[in-house]
This record gives sequence, structure tokens and C-alpha cells, in this order.
Amino acid sequence: MRKPARAAVVDPRSLPVTARAWCLAASFACQLPLLLQLPGWLGLAVGALAAVVAAIAWKRRLPAPLRAAVALAAVGLVLAGSGFSLGRDTGCALLAAMLAIKPVELFSWRDARSLLGFALFAPFATFLLDQGPLSLLLGLAGALVALAALWRLAELDAAVPTNPLPPVHAVGRRLWLVGRLALVGLPLALAAFWLFPRMASPMWGVPERAIAKPGLSGEMGPGDWLDLMGDDSPALRARFFGPVPERMQLYWRGPVLTDYDGRRWSRAEWTQGLPPAEVRVGGPVWDYELELEPTDRRFGVTLDLPLAEPDGTRLGHDHSTTSWRPLSSLRRWRLQSAAPAAYETELRPMLRTMALRLPAGFNPRTIALARQWRAEAGHGVAADEAVVQRFNDWVRSDFAYTLATNLPGRHAVDEFLFDEQEGFCEHYAGAFVVFMRAAGIPARVVTGYVGGYYNRFGDYWLVRREDAHAWAEVWYEGRGWVRADPTAAVAPERIYDTIANLSDDGGAGLRGLADMWDVGDWMRRGWNDFVLGFDATRQRQLLQPLGIRDLEMHQLIVLFAALAGLALAWMLWLVARGERERDPVLRAWHALGARYARLGLAPAPHEPARDWSARVLAARPQDTTLATLSARFSDWRYAAHPANPAAARTLILDLHRYRPAETSR
Amino acid sequence: MAATVRAPARMFQRLQQLARPRAPEPLPARLDRRRIYVLPTAFGLFFFVLLLTMGVGALNYNNNPALLLCLLLAGTALASLLHAHLQLSGLAVQAIDAEPVPAGHPLALRVHARADVARPRRGLEVRAGDTSAALHLDDGAGEAVLELPTAQRGWLDIGRLRISTTRPLGLARAWSWVWPDTPLLVYPAPEAHGPPLPEGAGDNVQARLHAAGDDVHHLRNWRRGDSRRAIAWKPSARRDQLLVREYEQPQGADVVIDWRGTAELPYEARIRRLARWVDEAERDQRRYVLRLPGQPALGPARGALHRHACLRALALLPEATHG
Repeated sequence: MRKPARAAVVDPRSLPVTARAWCLAASFACQLPLLLQLPGWLGLAVGALAAVVAAIAWKRRLPAPLRAAVALAAVGLVLAGSGFSLGRDTGCALLAAMLAIKPVELFSWRDARSLLGFALFAPFATFLLDQGPLSLLLGLAGALVALAALWRLAELDAAVPTNPLPPVHAVGRRLWLVGRLALVGLPLALAAFWLFPRMASPMWGVPERAIAKPGLSGEMGPGDWLDLMGDDSPALRARFFGPVPERMQLYWRGPVLTDYDGRRWSRAEWTQGLPPAEVRVGGPVWDYELELEPTDRRFGVTLDLPLAEPDGTRLGHDHSTTSWRPLSSLRRWRLQSAAPAAYETELRPMLRTMALRLPAGFNPRTIALARQWRAEAGHGVAADEAVVQRFNDWVRSDFAYTLATNLPGRHAVDEFLFDEQEGFCEHYAGAFVVFMRAAGIPARVVTGYVGGYYNRFGDYWLVRREDAHAWAEVWYEGRGWVRADPTAAVAPERIYDTIANLSDDGGAGLRGLADMWDVGDWMRRGWNDFVLGFDATRQRQLLQPLGIRDLEMHQLIVLFAALAGLALAWMLWLVARGERERDPVLRAWHALGARYARLGLAPAPHEPARDWSARVLAARPQDTTLATLSARFSDWRYAAHPANPAAARTLILDLHRYRPAETSR
Repeated sequence: MAATVRAPARMFQRLQQLARPRAPEPLPARLDRRRIYVLPTAFGLFFFVLLLTMGVGALNYNNNPALLLCLLLAGTALASLLHAHLQLSGLAVQAIDAEPVPAGHPLALRVHARADVARPRRGLEVRAGDTSAALHLDDGAGEAVLELPTAQRGWLDIGRLRISTTRPLGLARAWSWVWPDTPLLVYPAPEAHGPPLPEGAGDNVQARLHAAGDDVHHLRNWRRGDSRRAIAWKPSARRDQLLVREYEQPQGADVVIDWRGTAELPYEARIRRLARWVDEAERDQRRYVLRLPGQPALGPARGALHRHACLRALALLPEATHG
């Protein structure tokens, strides 16, 4: 038997059941989007904790030491789960855990309100982690429920009992009332959103996510990319102004990997400090705007060879872009790129050595075969090309493409080339470069994305994470670096084909579905454009369509003040509209009274219409129209039988039209 | 220490004196935007700090959804301030009234209000001093009943009434003062135990009062000060409690309640005794005269009006200037 500990000390202002229910519901609604962003097991654990705590706290009040123990356990759980590294993720997980255990002290009105206040922080924290449509929707819904709970608390807290509604209606009605309140505040919020002065650079750093999303990593090891290639979320969108590259030319260049240790490919960081290698442009220059989805890494992606670096990035010697800051929020770059006619025709000895280096003691069979081919081909550029051609022919005839591969042993390239003979881009690109280096041809791995999906609705290209690809570049004397894609030799359809091609022969039904999808992604892009990617730079260019190129800070502030004032006026008008007399006849009658007030003959509040008109008639004998009007008005207002609507309408018109002549005074 | 606590309170009081209305006003008093005040509640301030934190964080990370959320919440909060204002706007306090009660008893003050515009008015509270009551306005009109404590006879100064609401979100309180110049009377508290009514007080009616053959009107419980002769012993023995005979009062046997007859008592006690006698005379359904110094005699008469006139006169007697 549990003794009723502290049951005697009941708060006189303890919460009614409805208030507790609303608070708990709001707390859950706010937590949900945040829990979805936490790593799966942690999200589940915190969610379960929240449910258990809510169930226990509903029944009885926990003693203080137990409450403290629960709090400590929750914090410990989160810290252990995040490996004791403090950062944005850990902070958000902590917030979720605190929110989950907060209901143990839900006793008073004050507790209830503070719970709701902290609950409102959960959607905010969610947006720091993720800005996807689902998070946005759930977050805003959570905030709405929290506001409705506040509304309910205010209702219950006031001394006035409310009229009981059926519970379902009550919930719906409160959400609607709060939604309406939010709509009233919306214009002001939007004005502030577009025009409130933004910081060009943050006051304090953006903490990195502890758990990275799959993105190009600057390294490539066995099996690394399977995650990436199974993720169909967008990686980037591009829109071309002017010439559009062929589908076969849509190679989106990311990190270039030169160093090989027998197992992993990685970037040669020291070459990043060198100036970009010289390029002779052949063919058209592509002018395009690139929109990179956030990755929390610093590696940028650009089309083939960018001619200049985008803002806030550095162009490496190998023409890969590196951002100064992690690309943790949506980035928009306007760029020019071109296909090279000649790319680094003079290769420095050091770079050449690097592009030929192979670790000792790996892949003996590959090296032997490469040397044999080299001996058979002879020397010179033509011989190099022959070796590359022969390799591609070999791949085309004997190899297969698959994502289901085994983890390799020590001699990964040997196993791939001579035993397995099936794999995906990672294997093909890696084996190709090892083979070429063994054959004495400088080569390197390039990672990035290939292809893309053309959204005809919004006229832009969408590249998904699953389009991630690794290819190779070989260096020929006199021509410089040339792209070579051995995967394309075995499975071109796998690389260039996208949903668009598939749906073309998929029939009308699929076409319609694809259209819907196009519109969906186009809207997502619009949201990116208008909301997610909006920053200080874009703010300054806000009035570009009106011919104002850059807004100065003071102009911005003036504009903001003006618009905020307008929005406030609108709010006032909207909420004060209820003050207006509803009956149009009465309104017209009062307006008439106001006109006479200017003549000093205002009707007194208690004065009947006919008495007033008689008084006016005594002062202004010619005002007979008023007498008829007031007679009609009293008939309409006080007659026993209801007046017909047409008569009321003409009365309103006549009342509005009549102006007392001022000259007669 | 005490001074530091009192200083802000005094400041607040001075601030309050700047609020409208600054003098008692005739009713009805219509609340309009010039006399409605809106300030955030404690929770409103907490909410504001919360939004500020969110806003700075969102701006720092240039996190637009977070900023949008923060601004939406701020916009909603602002709209709720306006909403709170409008709950009061257009409301009119039509009248206040209260039945006079003896000092020491709570006075039930009824505040009648109506709203010109049919808009839902929720969570209205009327407060006077430390007591408050809910004001329901169901069909545009309603009333609140405040239980005001009373301590002193005379005019009750209720000061300003506060009509307020924290709806819809509890973030801000909108309030307005109403300072009715309607006088509210508090009767003197009647003496709890005292001698019976002075029968005839000097006039020669005493003998006739208890003359044999008068009709026994009814029996009542014995009270202190009753004469032993009036006790009805037989019925008392049957009922196990002392009963007293009350007689039908003959016409013209007016009770005279005279200020001068209580000279032995202190000033306020005299008033309280007279108040008690008025009540007793009224209860016994007898005509009575009240004589107060420097005033014409009231009565002889009886009934609610006369009682009120007498008690009012007693209530409004000046404060004692000496001992």
C-alpha cells in the first residue's frame, strides 16, 4: 500500500484535468518533429520516456528525489547517446529529453505555462536540424496546438466557467480561433521576415551536426557510397541561362581524389593551396545558377570546370570548390562553367609523381597486366589512348554493374578486375586509376554527381544524392586532363538515364504522376528560393525587379518600418471591424446623425427619431426631407410587421444620399 | 528595508493616479480606447524573452523557418494584445448598486454592464480592492456581484473598480478603471447584546403596555434584558427553553429612541445601541421615533423606508470629535 505522501499539500490553484490534457497534448505535438530528427533509437527512447512520464504524472505526484533522479537519468541517456560531444544535435536531444520529463512537475498554472513556453522551443530546435517540408509542417502544427493550449489555459484560469462544448468541437474550435489570431498577425510577421535587417555573418559559429547526412565526403573507401546512392533526396538544382549542356556533359564536379593507400582514396590537401590549373575553354560557356542543399560538409559541387570560384569558396588546383564554412544551409551560386579543350597541359613534376603513385605491395596482378599492356602498346599519347581504350573495351565485354558487392580483401582492385568483375562506379573508377597509374599514365579519381532530372514545369535540373558518381581523369601529354568514365562503358543507362527517360515510355498514367512530382519539386524549389535561401544578400536585392539594385541599410529600415506600420494598421482595422454597427440601416441612420452633428444638431442618445426631426425642423424649417426620412426610419425600425428588404435597401440609399444644406444657417 | 519595498508601490500608486478616470464619474461609463490599458502579464514577459531568444538565434544562424516561426508567434501575440483590448472596448458600466448592510457584514455590490457591440466578451473580471468577481455578458448585458468587506458606518468608498481580462492567450492584461460617484451606504453595526427597547421613554404609556387583557400576540425566545415578568413560565416548561410573551402593541404606544437616553455610553456605542433599537422596533412592528442631536426627530413611523431613514441618519452621524 502506497501511503498518500504529500497528498495533503494540494495546491489550491491546482490544474483542472482539461488544462493538463491540453498541456500534455501540446508538449507532444511540439516534440514530435524534433524526435523525428534525432537518431532513430534516441528518438524512440525519448518518446517512450515522455509517454511514461506523462502517464505517471497524470495519476500521482512524484516525490522530489525521484523527479531529480528521472531528470538525471534522461540527461545521462542523451549525453551517452551522443558520445558526450556537445553540439547542436546534443543540445536539441537534451531539449527533447527535458521536455519529455517536464510533465513530472505539472501542478500549477505557472508550471503549465512554462511547459508550453519550453514546448514552443522544440519546433525552433527542429528547424535548426532540418528544414524539410515535413519538419516545417509538424513544427507549425505543434506551435499552433501550443497556442491553443495557452488559449484554453487562459479560459480555465479566468473565474468565468465556459459554456461546455462537445470535446471534439471544443478542440477544433480552439484551433480555429488560434489559427485566426495567427492569420491576423501573419502580415506583420511576413513584413518583418522579408525586411527585418539580417546579419551578413553570424555573431557566433554554427555548431556542426554530430551526425552527418550522406554527402560527398572527400574520401572514397569500399562500400562508402552505398548510403549515398540509396538516398533519393535532392542534392542540388541548377537552372541554365543560355546554352544547356548535353545530357552526357552533366558531370557535376566535387572533390578530386588523388591519394591512394591501397584501400581508400582521399584528397591531396596540399594541392588545394595552389592556384587553379590553367584551362583553355572549348565549346560553349554555360551560365547557370546552382542551388546546393545543405550537407554540413565544406565540399562544393559545380558543373564540369568552373571558370571562377563562387562567393565564399576557394577553387583548388584541381578545380574542386571548397567552402570556407560548412554548407549547412541552402547555398545559391551563380556560375560559369565550360568543357575544357586543354586542361593543365604542363603537369608539374611533383603533381605528376603524385598522379602516378601507387602504394607498394598491393594488387600485383593488376600491376602485372598493366605493365604487359604498356609493353604491347609502346609509348606516346596514342599508346596511352590505346591502353585506355583497351581497358574500356575489356570492361564493356566482361563486366557487369551491380550495387550488391562483397567487401574486398587486401588486393581490392585485383579481386574486382579478375574475380568479381561486377561492381559500381566506386570500383570502376578506382580500378581504372590504379590500372592507368601502373601503366604509367597519370590518373586520378573525381567524385561528384552525374546527370540529373529535367523538371519541365520549373525549367531546371534536379540532381539527387543517388546520382552520386565517381569517374576518372587521365592526363595525356599535350592535351592535359581528360575525363574517362569506365562505368559509362559498362552501364551507360545506369548513369545518364533518369526518371524522365523511364517515364517517357511508361504511359499516360505515369506521365501525370511525374507532372505532379514536377510541380511538387518546383514548389519545394520556390520555398527554397523565397524562404530557406533568403539572406542578407538576397534582402539587399529585394527590389531588383523595381530597378533598385541594392538596398542600403537605412532604406531597408525605413521600408521595414513602413510595411510594419501598414501591417499593424491592418491588424487594428481587422480586429476593430467588429466595433461597427452590423445593421446597415442603423449605420446609415447614425451617419446621417453625424452629418447633423456638424451643424450642431446632433441627435441625443435618448431622443426618438421623430422628436429629433421635429427639433431639427424647428431650427431649419426647410428640412422637410429629414422628417420623411425619420418617419420611414421609425416605421422600418418599430413597425409591428417586418419591412420588406427592398424597402430597407432604398431607405439605406436615401439615408446615405441625403445631405443637409449648410447654406441655410 | 520596508522603505525600499514601499517605494515602488508608491510609484505604482502615483502612476495609477495618472490613469483615467482621475475623478469619480457619473454612470454609465463607456470604456473606450482612451481609458483601456494593456500591459503584458508576467507570463507575457516570459514569452517575450522566449521569442527574443528564438529571434536572435534564428537571425544568427540565418535560419529562416525558425525566424518565421518566431515572427509568427510574435505576430499572434501582438494580435492577442489587440484582442484583449477589444474585449473591453465598447463595454459600458451602466450602474452599480448595493443593499446597505451593517458595518462588518460583506456588502454585495452589483455591477451592471452592457456592451453596445455584440462581440463575444470573455473572461471579464471586476475587481475592487482585494475582492474580485467574474462579469458574465451573455446577451450583451450582465452583472458581477462583488462581496466587499465593510468596517465602518457611513459612506463606503469603493474607489476605482478595475474591469480587466487576460484573454485570449493570457499574455497581456487589458484593464480599465471605472470610478462611480454612486454613494454606497453602510449602516452602523447594531449592538450585539443590549437592553430592550425603552418603552415609552418618559411618556406615560408604560402601564398600559402590560395591562392585563391585552391580546397575547405570540411567544418568542428569551433575550437578555427581558423582564422576568414577561416570561411565560408554563410554555417555557413545556418547551425546555425560556419563552417571553409579546403583546400586540396598542396604537399610539410609540417607542422613542432618543440619543439623550444613552448618555452613559461612549460615542460609537451609543450609535450602535440606537441602531439595535431601531432594528428591534422594526422587528416588533412598532412605530418609533428617532431623536438625534441637532436634527429634527424622525417619525414616528415604521416600515422599511423609515428604518432606512433612521439607520442612514445614524450612519451619517459625524465622527466623534472628542473621547
